[in-house]
Amino acid sequence: MKLNLTVHPRFRIGILPMILLALMGIAFVIAMIRYTYGIGPITDLSNSYPWGFWISFDLFTGVAISSGGFLMAGTVYILRIKEFQPLLRPSVLTAFLGYIMVAVALLVDLGHPERIWYMMIHMNGTSVLLEIGICVMSYLTVLAIEFAPVVFEGIKWQKFAHLIHKFIMPFVILGVVLSTLHQSSLGSLLLIQPTKLHPLWWTPFLPIMFFTSAITIGLGMIILESSLSSRYFQRGLEVHLLEKLAKVIPIVLAVYAFLKFGELAWAGELGYLFTSGVMSVLFWAEILIGVVTPFILFSIKKVRQSANGLLTGAVILLLGMILNRFNVSWFAVKHPDPLFYLPSFMSNVHYFPTLPEVLVSVGIFSAGIMAFGLVAKYLPVFENEEHSHETVVTPTPAIGD
Amino acid sequence: MIEIKHKAYLFDATRCIDCRACMVACSVENSIPMDKTRIWVAGVGVKGEFPNLDRATMVYHCMHCEHPDCMSACPVGAYHKRDDGPVIYNPDVCIGCRYCMNACPFGVPHFDYDKGIIAGAFIDKCTFCPQRVDNGLEPACVATCPTDALEYGEREDMIKAAHARIAAHPERYIDHVYGEFENGGTSYLILSHVPFSELGLPAIPEKPVNEVSEKVMEMTIPFAIGWGAVLTAITAGVAIYDKKKESQKPAELDEKVEAPK
Repeated sequence: MKLNLTVHPRFRIGILPMILLALMGIAFVIAMIRYTYGIGPITDLSNSYPWGFWISFDLFTGVAISSGGFLMAGTVYILRIKEFQPLLRPSVLTAFLGYIMVAVALLVDLGHPERIWYMMIHMNGTSVLLEIGICVMSYLTVLAIEFAPVVFEGIKWQKFAHLIHKFIMPFVILGVVLSTLHQSSLGSLLLIQPTKLHPLWWTPFLPIMFFTSAITIGLGMIILESSLSSRYFQRGLEVHLLEKLAKVIPIVLAVYAFLKFGELAWAGELGYLFTSGVMSVLFWAEILIGVVTPFILFSIKKVRQSANGLLTGAVILLLGMILNRFNVSWFAVKHPDPLFYLPSFMSNVHYFPTLPEVLVSVGIFSAGIMAFGLVAKYLPVFENEEHSHETVVTPTPAIGD
Repeated sequence: MIEIKHKAYLFDATRCIDCRACMVACSVENSIPMDKTRIWVAGVGVKGEFPNLDRATMVYHCMHCEHPDCMSACPVGAYHKRDDGPVIYNPDVCIGCRYCMNACPFGVPHFDYDKGIIAGAFIDKCTFCPQRVDNGLEPACVATCPTDALEYGEREDMIKAAHARIAAHPERYIDHVYGEFENGGTSYLILSHVPFSELGLPAIPEKPVNEVSEKVMEMTIPFAIGWGAVLTAITAGVAIYDKKKESQKPAELDEKVEAPK
């Protein structure tokens, strides 16, 4: 076999990759400092605030925005709505990179990153975090399998691509189950803090809230990621497909709003909506930005059918829903009041993320964008309409019968 | 519910003189630097206006809950509740996720934020001095307390003694033994003459904090199996439906020209 080494004769590094590379470099240096001197010197985390920006942004937001992968895999493979085929690969890639970013960020945040695999040998069944850890590890494997055909096609190993296609159904089902579990379990993480999390957010139904909102976040992410990549790679935008996704969003949002307010009414906590000061404001901000505005926007046909309308709606939806994740995991969590007599190491009850802390997350996010760009450039992620025949799964009698 | 026979501390805030000998004793016994002490004296400081001044302090360390939330939360099972009371921590399996610190309603476990991965950053908290207790001694803080503000014994006896003390001096104490029922009961019981919030103790319900979380976790595996079965059924159903439709399609096309069925 002859290798063609001059595929890209006009290869040059643009301005965006340069910026991304610089941000990744900064994050790498900060991470090295953290591994050498500990978490304290570079963050504002303390014994009163053990979890901060990294958990809210990298874990809670990172996992939520990666939910498009299982939604598209489920739509195309399980429900066999094959017209969504063009959105499948980019969504799976977004999810795959998203989860890798989550894992990398956790390796910075964990006190003993070298022991992360202990979760597989020392299992504590009552721990929500264990469930999330196991699910994320397994789902990363599933995503790798789901994405492998793209890699094999890229390097022209069609046989392997077909082989994986043939046996993909069990992995797709496993992926949907694992995603359902850990998307909802991220909410369950807070169940153990009924005395710390504000009652506007703490409810036994947190896992259901998280799963419902994760669906809207996943759909929003697919729209955002398609819109941005169509602009960057100057390819066509599948507006007719995105419109159908956008049509689903108001329905899920209505269910979500019903659950949220229904739960508050059921628990007799409606009063907190107006009496909790900053917390009430945060709650309403989250509802107005993440639920009401996108509900209205995506209910309008004109908005759904325009590229700009779709992008605007998705950005607003994501901002509101990400605010929800920050509220639940950070803003609405009350830590012990400062007492007069406390040793210095216990007395830092104010938390505000430091610049290095944010830069680590920014660097990891940049790496994700960079990786998406590179993969999309060199592998058949965005399929041409012509050669989509080989990508549709053949019927799977192994499962069907 | 079965009453578990085990040891507990009893702390009486009216007796504490804020000498902090317990902090020194703990540091010496467990070789902990003073700036990372497992035990600390807390309070809101001096209250009131001269000459009616008041001040209350409390010795704060692990409550050794009956239903420890740190133990429930730890993904790798680094925590263990001994039958005789102590909640102990095993640094050898700890991955440093700090979920225990989030879970603990009392904010007890603390973490080595100033250590890198080579030095090894671990969680630390009061261990109930098992090395002393197992040899028939009292925990270091109790043994050193000059005013008997800290006492140690069978949990049942301690609860009885606490209630007897309240009954003997109802004017002196708040009629409540903190820890008797809080968070499903703790092995650290507290008597006070000022509201417990002024000692830095949070208001905790009697139901263990981890109750809901553990119930949800119990449903996880059945739910996963059920959901997997449902999805498999949907997959099979859709596949069969699709196949039928596809096999009918060419037939329909042929018949269209002639006559409908």
